Amino acid sequence: MFKYTVKRLLQSLLTVLIVVTVVFLLMRLLPNDNYFTEDQQMKLNIEERTELLRQAGLLDPIPIQLFRYYGQLLRLDFGTSRRIQTGVAVMKIIESKFTVSMRLGLTSMAISLVIGVLLGVLQARRKDRLPDHIVTAYTIFVNSVPHLVSYSLILVFGARVLQLPSMYSTRNVGKSIILPIACLAMGSIAHYALWTRRYMVDESTKDYIKLARIKGMAQKDIMLKHVLKNAFVPLVQYIPASIIMTVGGSLLVERFFSVPGMGTLMTDAINRYDTEVVQTCVMIYAALGIIGVFLGDIAMMIVDPRIKLAGGGETR
Amino acid sequence: MKKKTTRILAMLLAALMVLSACGGNNDGNTTPGDDSPSNSDTTGGNTQTGTPPAPTNGGDPIDELVVWEVSSNEMETFLMAHSESSRDLDVLANNYSALLEIDNYGHLNPAVAKEWGTEDEGKTWTFKLRDDVTWVDVNGNEMDKTTARDWQTAMEWILNYHKNDSKNVSMLRNLIEGAEEYYELTQEMDPAAAQALTYESPEFANVGIEVPDDYTIIYHCKVNCPYFATLATSAALYPIPAGLAAQKSVEDLIAIDNTTMWYNGPYRMTEYVMNNSKTQTRNESYWDKDCSLFDSVRVVMIEDGNMDDMYWETGEVDQTQLASATSQTILDNPSDPRNELVVSTRLRKYSYQHMFNYAKNKADGTPDTDWNNAIANEAFRKSLYWGLNYYTTWYRGNRLDPMVLENLAYTMKNFVYFSDGTDYTDRVLSYLSEPIPAAGKDETTPRRFDAEKALAYKEQAMKELEGKVNFPVNVDYYVKAGSSLDGALVYKENWEETLGTDYIVFNICEYVNSNTQEVYDPQLQSFTDNGWGADYGDVENFHDQILYGVDGAFYSERYSNINQIDESVNPEVVALWKEYTDMVLEAKQVYDLDERYDAFAKAEAFLLDHALVIPYNYSNYLQMTKINDYTKKYAFYGCQNGMYKNWETSTEAYTAEDYARFIEEYEAGK
Repeated sequence: MFKYTVKRLLQSLLTVLIVVTVVFLLMRLLPNDNYFTEDQQMKLNIEERTELLRQAGLLDPIPIQLFRYYGQLLRLDFGTSRRIQTGVAVMKIIESKFTVSMRLGLTSMAISLVIGVLLGVLQARRKDRLPDHIVTAYTIFVNSVPHLVSYSLILVFGARVLQLPSMYSTRNVGKSIILPIACLAMGSIAHYALWTRRYMVDESTKDYIKLARIKGMAQKDIMLKHVLKNAFVPLVQYIPASIIMTVGGSLLVERFFSVPGMGTLMTDAINRYDTEVVQTCVMIYAALGIIGVFLGDIAMMIVDPRIKLAGGGETR
Repeated sequence: MKKKTTRILAMLLAALMVLSACGGNNDGNTTPGDDSPSNSDTTGGNTQTGTPPAPTNGGDPIDELVVWEVSSNEMETFLMAHSESSRDLDVLANNYSALLEIDNYGHLNPAVAKEWGTEDEGKTWTFKLRDDVTWVDVNGNEMDKTTARDWQTAMEWILNYHKNDSKNVSMLRNLIEGAEEYYELTQEMDPAAAQALTYESPEFANVGIEVPDDYTIIYHCKVNCPYFATLATSAALYPIPAGLAAQKSVEDLIAIDNTTMWYNGPYRMTEYVMNNSKTQTRNESYWDKDCSLFDSVRVVMIEDGNMDDMYWETGEVDQTQLASATSQTILDNPSDPRNELVVSTRLRKYSYQHMFNYAKNKADGTPDTDWNNAIANEAFRKSLYWGLNYYTTWYRGNRLDPMVLENLAYTMKNFVYFSDGTDYTDRVLSYLSEPIPAAGKDETTPRRFDAEKALAYKEQAMKELEGKVNFPVNVDYYVKAGSSLDGALVYKENWEETLGTDYIVFNICEYVNSNTQEVYDPQLQSFTDNGWGADYGDVENFHDQILYGVDGAFYSERYSNINQIDESVNPEVVALWKEYTDMVLEAKQVYDLDERYDAFAKAEAFLLDHALVIPYNYSNYLQMTKINDYTKKYAFYGCQNGMYKNWETSTEAYTAEDYARFIEEYEAGK
């Protein structure tokens, strides 16, 4: 386990380094014109613009810029924002958004996990009967209709019929968070229901389940103690990653409900050519993704002791 | 098992409830004692002496206004001197006080400066300041007096190359004595040494801002500057609190936010949540005790300009800019109760022109000689000048009153006036050698549109350009891929309908990301739509952008490329541009305002007579609102139009009838 952890850690660091380098280079491939605002392009002559670029170090050879950036990262200096919030440390900006996305994401995750798994269990137990058909129809609807349309339906229904706030508000977090959470949870509920049903149905046809039935074990106990438990193993692997990635926020939902979370930060930063923010966001996303996968492996091992994590690819 | 499952479910739900409820007000920069519902003063009553005008439509004045802005316009800085963008300045103008303020007629009024004037035709300007203006922090605690030192601090900060990233510097460099030299001096200095300079440093002594006492500022201009007072409403002449600047490093001052900045404007920003909302709370220490202010103004950030219609319907905002589809739905249905609530906003500050490209290239980089020779021909340009009927375009912009968008002059109308009250653009039109009629042939015909005249010029152009141009001439018009296509199709119709496809073929071309890099740099466009809004209150600001052979003429360098016209092939058009430029440069030397405007009007009439650019459009939009726009600050320069001061509002939406009365009252009050 220790060997495996160290190996994965080193692999992860390398992956993050590669991602960061690629993003850094991609940002440098963009024309320098984007560094300036429209007003600056209009009011500064070429010499003045060149001088500002030189001052910012953007005219240095790319390898020098890159190693300077690595140096910054080693000192945990992620720089300051140039356009999102001028002069403010990038981590401070991210921190303020991180908590909002996390609160929203974790809440929707918790809801969708509970409801989705319960619906999946219900479907598996009532396979090919009305509850199964209804939830299947819901799953198909959610997966086939574009998110923008389903979010609009929720927005209109929630705001006009239920009189819920259609914009996230710091003055009324409890109520204003309901519609964004409903939108976020809608897809996850369908996802968990779909896979829980599928794994449970697969599991319930296995020999050990037949044996349990023959031995006269109650159907309810079979479903919960054996079928659900084993069906949950493949699902568990993705839960840590899903939880961690909630920090990244949802671009669409956050835009739709004016939620001041992480989801919109990176696109805003790209639009405004705020390289420091873009690079830091990408690095955080990469790191979170890697940590999520790693924790998923650990979670699987905890849920199913038969699974062993090994460095040499013996089991996984 | 049942117990266990129940326990797990209970724990999950408990966690869920905690997650939903926790951390209510900590998403952004909120201050203690702000106006969240639990502790806000909802008893109403404006503590300023001035009371908001009572609405006449049966509603009550709004105490807590809610307006919106699109997320992409989120502000970037809280330091006014560090911003050149309306996304910041519209907000910050509520937090800082300027020397002067405009009113709803665009007139300059005293603000921190109680008196101002010049005695030498605009070379030296003296401002006498009030002594009762204070800086407060976000909680309203008094921090310092506002004095002339704050303007000295701002001037030094802006001109210091290593402090302000050259933001807001160009106007000061061009106008203020010693400013250029100080900027260059700091540019050559070591950054740390330059950042250590203050307005008290000997290096700054030669810059033309003099402060004989705490409440007097004297600006010394390089040249006579009769319009200098209007600059007092622009970001370059707003103050930076000297006390705050002394406390903070350069990096820290640039990075101030709503909780660390100081305020001397009508509002304190007590809450700022990036991409969500900002709350402006009335500043009890504000110097203007006679004005009416809201208890609070909440600006909510929304995804795009189409969603505000729904927020209006749910009562979450007090004004909505109607999306084209929504206004169509409402206005096409006479029984829709919202019909009577649709009103027009006032014109925005931009005067839109077709700016021709006189040195166009083809996509392969070679000169587009057909277009270049055609556009250099006066008859060709005049055929466009008289032959473009933009009624459909305006109708798409404003179905209630399309003709209000017709633009006939290069400079914005209602921008400056002669002393007898004549609008500058009316004088321009009076000087045109081919007069434009006072009204179109009918209600849907633009004043300038004259098909007969256009066709006569077409015939003349085709004759004159025979052997020099292959007809039809390709007109390449660029739009961003996936957007603006509807508008471009209407243009195509407008251009080809009267003049015919034997003469011009209108090509709608697309760029993917950057029009600068994909279109303007390679000079691919035949013309561009260009809206200029003035930085300060003088017509030279419009004309300076299009001069021939003058450094810094932005549109000449970026859009029209007139400096690259091949003079050996098309000497006539170069001569015309040179003559126009000479007229403008002469007008700039006239300092009596009436004479000055008259000289500019003659130059502008020359520009239009030869159709060197074609004015075509103003902009506004349809809305439903609880705000009387005619009480808002309204100027075509400066950064104060976004101030929430002296607004008349009503808890009941205004009707078209109310708005008609507002316009009448406004015109009567001129």
